[in-house]
Amino acid sequence: MRAGTIYLLIALVLLGISLLKEKQRTKEAIKATFKIFYVLMPVLVFVFVLMGLIQAYISRETIANLLGQRSGILGILSAEIVGCIALFMPPAVFPFGGYLLKNGASFGSIAGFVFTAILIGITTLPLEFKLLGKRFTIFRNIFTFVLAFFIALLMEVILR
Amino acid sequence: MKKLLKNDVFQFLSLSAVITLIVYGINAEKGAIVTRTVYNTFIEVLDIVTAVSIFIGLFQVWVKPPTIVKWLGKGSGLKGFILVCTFPILMGGSLFTVFPLLKTLKEKGARQGAIASFITAWGGKAPLLPLETKFLGWPFALVRLGFVIVFAFLMGILMDWVGEKPT
Repeated sequence: MRAGTIYLLIALVLLGISLLKEKQRTKEAIKATFKIFYVLMPVLVFVFVLMGLIQAYISRETIANLLGQRSGILGILSAEIVGCIALFMPPAVFPFGGYLLKNGASFGSIAGFVFTAILIGITTLPLEFKLLGKRFTIFRNIFTFVLAFFIALLMEVILR
Repeated sequence: MKKLLKNDVFQFLSLSAVITLIVYGINAEKGAIVTRTVYNTFIEVLDIVTAVSIFIGLFQVWVKPPTIVKWLGKGSGLKGFILVCTFPILMGGSLFTVFPLLKTLKEKGARQGAIASFITAWGGKAPLLPLETKFLGWPFALVRLGFVIVFAFLMGILMDWVGEKPT
């Protein structure tokens, strides 16, 4: 069976349990599910178009040179920077990362990309400033970038 | 019409269509590569994205922000710290949804280390495991999840170390 089918079955079972426990809340959950799906799909389609563009215009060698094992530390750093400026929603990060991996990027680069793409966002900086303070924002983003680098390096060593 | 143009869904879809059409216009062969990639990946992820949306939807209604704030408290003490470094892994959402929740946590007196740990642990993204394992494999996903906890711990320690105000 496809992995997706299994997840779908698990999700439906959970939905069933929720329905048995509380009808009203389950109704809300289904509404939320539709909303999430509705917001998510267009973003994913956009990311798939980007993947298609890379497929059409950028060769495997280029990706391997920029983000592959030979690129080493610089590969991880550039992947992290791409992650910081990429406007992806978290669910779009994995298909894109997987796509780069399949085309020659290293595990370390992908790890760096995934961490910064989820945890650092140029577009969310103003909101973070406003809600959590300037000092907090600056330190958090710097520490996240640096720690993500070392963890990505470790992951490269473990997974290669 | 104005509302439609401001709609994110509309923007992403129209941008996707425009880019694809431009590529087709320049070179039909490359355009075909783009549409094939989009179609194949779309078919590949449809069931997973549906499942993930259900997971996040269920979590949202069963674990509401006030509950989270109550559970985590100030995130102080060893137990609170461990909770702050692990529990958010289960949550969905984007940074846009998580920052307002953290502001509430901060107002309740959570230390900035606990808040930073929370964000980092939230990056674990367990509801997205179906997507992550599909595209990056189980070894990557599990190793990353393990490191997320370490990452969250270190972030908390570092952020508390720099302190709240310049000295």
